[in-house]
Amino acid sequence: MSEPGASKETLHIDPYEKNWMRISIVLLIVFAAAVTIAGFALGFQVPSPEERVDPNNLSGPWLSPGLRELSPGVYEAYIIGDAATWQFDPRDIEVPVGSTVTFYVTSRDIQHGFKLQDTNINMQILPGQVSKLTYTFDQVGEYPYICTEYCGTGHAFMFGSLTVVEK
Amino acid sequence: MADKPQSEHEAGEFHPRGTVAILVMFVLAIIILWASVYVILLSRGVTV
Repeated sequence: MSEPGASKETLHIDPYEKNWMRISIVLLIVFAAAVTIAGFALGFQVPSPEERVDPNNLSGPWLSPGLRELSPGVYEAYIIGDAATWQFDPRDIEVPVGSTVTFYVTSRDIQHGFKLQDTNINMQILPGQVSKLTYTFDQVGEYPYICTEYCGTGHAFMFGSLTVVEK
Repeated sequence: MADKPQSEHEAGEFHPRGTVAILVMFVLAIIILWASVYVILLSRGVTV
């Protein structure tokens, strides 16, 4: 028990510091809420590691990468990044407007990136792991895809193009 | 001998207007840049 007359020490915080902390906390809450809304209410998802594969012995759909039509307007695209040739396989994809395409992308050798311009598709591509994202193309046009992870001297040549055409 | 005059800070009347102005610009820049990226994210459509 404190003695009568003893001074009680309190932590002094300058009003400017208090306001700065308040603003910072409010900003964090607003940003977290916006990300939560985008992710859970609006359905925006980040790339998920779909499955594991042996990069030295790709099999199944990886033996003939490219576009497959599952049903009218629904496609899946298997794409391989390859540092031996500095290319994506395939390098050109064409789909009709309104198509929903699920991208499965992996690497045969080293780390790459897969960024489809003008969309939110941006994946890290690792050997042994399949990255997956689905996107619906509602506008006609050309969507270049590029490697976004520096992967060697031929990195700048790692690009391709997805073309959305009229039905 | 006359008392030493109190500084503005000691008198509790210190108002760092320049610092506050810089911080306001900093916060506005963060909000505007963050919001612009968020709008771009939304405008590009959903990825599942």
